[in-house]
Amino acid sequence: MVNLDDLKKEALNLLKDEKVKYIIGYTEGSNGTSAAPAFIKNPEDTDKLVWNPGCFHNLTRFLRDEKKRKAREKHPDERPVGIVVKGCDSRAINVLLQEKYIKRDDVFILGVSCESTGVIDEKKVAKKLKGKKAQKIEWDTNRNLVVTTEDGTTKIPADEVLAERCVECPVHSPVVYDIFFGDKIKRTTDAQFKSVEKIENLSQKEKWDFWKKQFDKCIRCYACRSVCPMCYCDECVVDTISFAVTADTTAEEKAQRIKWIEKSPTPSETFIYHIIRAIHLAGRCIDCGECERVCPLDIPIRFLNKKLEKEAKSLFDYEVGFDPDQLSLVSSFKDEDPEDFIR
Amino acid sequence: MEKILTKKSFPNWIAKLATVQIYAPVVKDDLWSYEVVDAAGITTEYTNAIQSPKKIIFPQRELFLEFSHNDNGSPEIRELLPEDKESIIFGIRPCDAKGVSHMDKVFGGDFEDSYYWKRRNQVTLVGVGCNTPPSPNCFCTSVDGSPFSHEGLDVLLTDMGDNYYVQTFTKKGDKLVNMSKGLFAAPKPKEKADLESLHKDAETKLPRHLKDTKKIPPKLKGLFDSEIWDDESMSCIRCGICTYLCPTCHCFDISDEITSHSPLEGKRVRTWDNCQFPDFTMHSSGHNPRPDKASRLRQRIMHKFQYFVEIYNNYQCVGCGRCISKCPVGIDIIQVLEKVRDHV
Repeated sequence: MVNLDDLKKEALNLLKDEKVKYIIGYTEGSNGTSAAPAFIKNPEDTDKLVWNPGCFHNLTRFLRDEKKRKAREKHPDERPVGIVVKGCDSRAINVLLQEKYIKRDDVFILGVSCESTGVIDEKKVAKKLKGKKAQKIEWDTNRNLVVTTEDGTTKIPADEVLAERCVECPVHSPVVYDIFFGDKIKRTTDAQFKSVEKIENLSQKEKWDFWKKQFDKCIRCYACRSVCPMCYCDECVVDTISFAVTADTTAEEKAQRIKWIEKSPTPSETFIYHIIRAIHLAGRCIDCGECERVCPLDIPIRFLNKKLEKEAKSLFDYEVGFDPDQLSLVSSFKDEDPEDFIR
Repeated sequence: MEKILTKKSFPNWIAKLATVQIYAPVVKDDLWSYEVVDAAGITTEYTNAIQSPKKIIFPQRELFLEFSHNDNGSPEIRELLPEDKESIIFGIRPCDAKGVSHMDKVFGGDFEDSYYWKRRNQVTLVGVGCNTPPSPNCFCTSVDGSPFSHEGLDVLLTDMGDNYYVQTFTKKGDKLVNMSKGLFAAPKPKEKADLESLHKDAETKLPRHLKDTKKIPPKLKGLFDSEIWDDESMSCIRCGICTYLCPTCHCFDISDEITSHSPLEGKRVRTWDNCQFPDFTMHSSGHNPRPDKASRLRQRIMHKFQYFVEIYNNYQCVGCGRCISKCPVGIDIIQVLEKVRDHV
């Protein structure tokens, strides 16, 4: 079992010894079952750290903000940032290292094992609680979620409330870390791509109808883009000004800029947005599932990423986020790569 | 006027109303959403919809005009106003209706927005009050609202068990009741008393509270350059959920969507905009006076609790709790405002 006190103690020592700038971890959220990201600078605040089934956020997303902040500082503090990561999150660190977006010295990784469970799907838990607000959630040793509400405690089997990505997760514990918490349990899954089969088995028309209905709901809040640790481009095609404007940029150039996508949430624009997002993550997505979790309209966009992950694995035997030194999927080739789909 | 409608007669009334288009909350993929429904699909038992009915009066995309070059090469411009179509929004929550009345102030006043008012004038708002809070993050009573506030409403229904207590506040509202006069009875004194106690009781059930809200606007004045915004926005990911789900946020952008360059054809459209996006308030020089997420969070809070209060003497927040419930990283506007209020 992960001992929260060990995590707190390590965080305390790191801050006391001034080994890290601050620690990105989890703290209690105000919003029912969910924990909330915490940025801890003072040693005395390390007591606020939590580790529970509501720690679903992929905190590596905040390394982007850190990098930007650092770039603005004249005399940046070169110490690493301490960061709490789960198995899936640690693979994101490997991708960021692979893409040379961060350096290994930029982070001090506090790896936490998901052991025999993972994190919950808030919506599944909310359904079970039927409107009641959870005051506390934790896993017991028999893979049950123990939920405390105003009416007392109830036990729900893990398989009924686990996030789908945790059910399909091939790692369960960090693959890169400086210090490890919990048990290194080797868990294998034969269901890594089970959820995507549901969509694969549909006919072309059914697929179209499915996505048409889903994307019609999209309000283009871009939460799926904003939460993604890999969506770190300075210029994104969906922003109206998607190119750097300098003092020398002429009015003509601004007027003639290529508008890749309109702001209107019409079917064509929304489809394009989601397809661009998914394609840009091919060979980079580590399936933390954050894009789907944050969607306020419950659009199942993880399917798109999962399909690409499956294609990469079956066509190129490529797996993401295990080796920071591997060549990237889209900028490398091997002699034995299949090419029969090129016509 | 005040009337009693039995639950037995309720479907008959709705059937009468259904001569015009009715929007009401329906479940769509497990989420409540305001959609066009037929009379049979209407219920008064629903939690908070994921989006407020703001989207009906102020759609995310509004066509302004179309333009083209005609055969002689001269430009042609055609105005595109929303179509003539009366409708009813049935089952709007009092907080969301209050949000509409706030938007009326913004799009009315000295400059009337014809697109907004064309839609607004064609819609009648029938509210259903909240005997129990529809969201675990409701805090309407902390921002001058209440579970049975009638601000912005034409009609308010209160569920009294076997009956609905029906109150109308406008001519539009009276019209809906007068359409089926025979179904309604005058309330007895006991029913009036029950209504009052039910309304009072509902106010005590709010799950969230913000104390001393009135201290916040003057406090904000001195906090423009405060570190509070850096601290509170650390976990913000700069998505647009909080403002796009907000029943009072009304910022928009206007752009030309070109569908053909030669011959020139296109449409001018208004779309929702969002103070949390990186290109919001970006100048044509490329400079952005709000360069980081701290200044964007500050803008959201200041607009709702200082600027709007200064101009319209109202908070631009109705306490629906959507931004709290749906924030991916747990930024809680109540907690942010408490820190502002208690800042020394």
